[in-house]
Amino acid sequence: MTTQVSAKTSPNSLRNLLHILIGDWDRTQLSISFLLVALMAISPLFISSPYYMGIIILACLYAVIGISWNIVAGFTGQLLIAHIIFLAFGGYTTIVLLNTFRIMPWVGIPLGGVVAALAGWVIALITLRYGLKMDYFALFTIALLVALRTLFLKWDFVGGAVGMYLRLAEPSVPKMIFATKPPYLYIAISLLVFGILVQYQVYRSKMGKYLIAIREDEAAAAALGVNTSKYKTIAVMIGAALAGMSGGFYVMYVTFIDPTGVFNLGVNVEIIMAGPIIGGLGSLLGPILGALVNKPIAELVRGSLAESRSGISLIVYGLFLITSIMVMPKGLAGLCHSLYLRLYRPNKNIE
Amino acid sequence: MSPDIFFQTLVNGLFTGGIYALVSIGLTLIYGVMVIVNFAHGEFLMLGIYTAFWSFTLLGLDPYLSIPFAVVLIGILGAMIQRGLVQQVLDAHPLNQIILLVGISTLIVGLAQFFFSAEPKSIHVSYETEVITLLGLRMSIPRLIAFCSSLVISFGLYLFLQHTRLGKAIRAVSQSREAAKLMGINVNYIYMLTFGIGTAITAVAGVLLSPNHRMIPTMGQTYSVIAFVVVVLGTMGNFVGAFIGGLIIGVVEAYAGFFLGGDVKIIASMLIFILILLFKPSGLFGRKRT
Amino acid sequence: MALLEVQNITKRFGGLVAVHEFNLTMDQGQIVALIGPNGAGKTTAFNVIAGYYKADGGKVLLNSREITNLRPDQICGLGLARTFQVVRPFAGISVLDNVMVGAYAHTSDVKIARAKAEEVLELLGLQRMTNQLAKGLPIAIRKRLEIARAVATDPQIMLLDEAMAGLRPMEADEVIGMVRKLSDKGIAILLVEHVMKVVMSLADRIIVLHHGEMIAEGEPADVVKNLQVIEAYLGEANNVTS
Repeated sequence: MTTQVSAKTSPNSLRNLLHILIGDWDRTQLSISFLLVALMAISPLFISSPYYMGIIILACLYAVIGISWNIVAGFTGQLLIAHIIFLAFGGYTTIVLLNTFRIMPWVGIPLGGVVAALAGWVIALITLRYGLKMDYFALFTIALLVALRTLFLKWDFVGGAVGMYLRLAEPSVPKMIFATKPPYLYIAISLLVFGILVQYQVYRSKMGKYLIAIREDEAAAAALGVNTSKYKTIAVMIGAALAGMSGGFYVMYVTFIDPTGVFNLGVNVEIIMAGPIIGGLGSLLGPILGALVNKPIAELVRGSLAESRSGISLIVYGLFLITSIMVMPKGLAGLCHSLYLRLYRPNKNIE
Repeated sequence: MSPDIFFQTLVNGLFTGGIYALVSIGLTLIYGVMVIVNFAHGEFLMLGIYTAFWSFTLLGLDPYLSIPFAVVLIGILGAMIQRGLVQQVLDAHPLNQIILLVGISTLIVGLAQFFFSAEPKSIHVSYETEVITLLGLRMSIPRLIAFCSSLVISFGLYLFLQHTRLGKAIRAVSQSREAAKLMGINVNYIYMLTFGIGTAITAVAGVLLSPNHRMIPTMGQTYSVIAFVVVVLGTMGNFVGAFIGGLIIGVVEAYAGFFLGGDVKIIASMLIFILILLFKPSGLFGRKRT
Repeated sequence: MALLEVQNITKRFGGLVAVHEFNLTMDQGQIVALIGPNGAGKTTAFNVIAGYYKADGGKVLLNSREITNLRPDQICGLGLARTFQVVRPFAGISVLDNVMVGAYAHTSDVKIARAKAEEVLELLGLQRMTNQLAKGLPIAIRKRLEIARAVATDPQIMLLDEAMAGLRPMEADEVIGMVRKLSDKGIAILLVEHVMKVVMSLADRIIVLHHGEMIAEGEPADVVKNLQVIEAYLGEANNVTS
């Protein structure tokens, strides 16, 4: 804290800048996040292959999705296992609005976020009202996922088992259909920047401290004035909204959605859980680092063993998750943190 | 619905329920002792069914004869997983426990896909289409064998838990870890043993399913979800509850399948699951676990 | 108008009556000690007052406003803070962040909350631990942290549940000093204690609970005399000052 004061009054503008960027670990995480975003933003200058561009776009998207889950599970410790429900709701909303009601995805994607947030609100309401905690809460979300999958499989309005396909059309900006990859990249990046800012704001504010308190010890938090139900609900809604918007973009990018693919626990593990866990659940940088490591490695693994055996990516994910819990609970972000402490703040006892 | 179909569906449901009961008994045993929901549980059923496959294919063994193999191999695997991995997270945040088990589940499915391939497999025994008719009800031989075996095995395990020293030790630990320790019970050993038993019994359920059943590495996940329903329905940790719950869900599913169609019958179980979680999470046998 | 009024609080668990028609009145700046053998119902009474248990009968009034059966966080917001017998620090975050959670009780501004938290840390001598993770701290520090968090909520009254348990005499003396400091600031303190030395040195008034009933109340000297009579009557086995 005292360092903060002297940096502010110091006439050395470089030191000022350094402080703003990496003065504490939170700021450092934010700076690294934006650095990574910037790298992705300029990647079209170096990469022309649509295949590699696609990997970056999806990595970007996985990062936002990871952030959305991080807020619910990482910050607040809620065992919302079937988070992909929100992605599904957002995706279906966006494509239904476009196909059936001709509402442009620029509106449809945010609306997808709203629908997902509403779903989050309902789920939070029900689980809080009926006191579903811990394992019961996790199982409830899984039951919901399976039930929803079955419902969507039979619901013709959303295409049933076949799913919904984006209507073929000429590339057009209003319809968010592009002939090349870079425009998709920039939309994904915008979403990611939005997610990073939301996550940071939540983390640094009163809400962030309250969510963490709830995660660490809910009863103690209540004793200190934290309205646990209210904050848990808000966390779920924010996470759901981000996931919903990601789902909306996802459907525009891959141009199709179906119940088996999206109400899918395996996919849930791969694209929602694995990233933040590898990167460091509960940290700011974790979801982003995790997604950037997760997606490319998954692709590499899939690609290098060509058409041979399936299962490799699952083995890798499984090992990632197991190793994370057993050996590296703070993930890659935790390693970065240790590095940061050693390089920038070698005094012990400083955060 | 005519009486014939009513009773036939009932029998079919009970037969399926027998398998569900076995799987769920394993899950509830693990929960009762370690207070951890084994999110990788269905994968052990999958390993069991593949054990039957390989015994049949490589050794020409009738699938039921591979039960001892399944018990030993998968029981030991389960015990090792518990000792090496699950043990470390017994007192960790439930989120970490779930993530670890989901990771184990993913790894097992991945390994199965890698070594056994993701292509569906099946084995066919000579008697698989044989049917006997009792009281006007048609019962397929393999399913009848499976059902009777489940009854026998469940009962056997029940006797084990009630009347042997080891069984009583297991029940003691499930009631109070601390008290059991004070009485000189090696709690960590009991944890390992229980997990091994739980996974072994699930593997046996897999073997019993094997005749003419479609086998793919991801098949365990549906059984996991059904086991979750059954265990909550029958009260978590309650052995008898899991057995009865398994039969109930089997029957419910059979009727749901009749009225709604095979691909959506699972929604009946999910609805029951949701209703129980909301209105009677302590299950049919009501004792709340602290 | 009393600060805290507990009127005929009763709490049952199944057939067992843990607390029976418990009464208490406290004013600003007072220190009242609740003593009694294990199982007498002291922590249960705390939990009812602080909103953790639903009262089966009776009322709790804070500043003449009924708080019976309000949520714990609402009660905290109205000015009643409590600590736990077995401390419950937020292990994964720093000492400062722990106290900031409390400091946010009446503000949403980060700077204000941080300033308040730092002030409280200084008051309780924890300023050197500001950035240390709460996990792994020695018990004496954790107990102080527990108190600091509660103080940061700006309470008018604090319920301290066995704040001295597990502390060495020197550490306990430090906590006694802190409690006095808090009392000097006008905070009313209701404490549950087993250590008689602490009770005698701090309390303005002592209440004795036994099997959920109040069996004695009054100034320390009087109660102690009374206790000797009670113990003589009930026998050593019912040692009220365990």
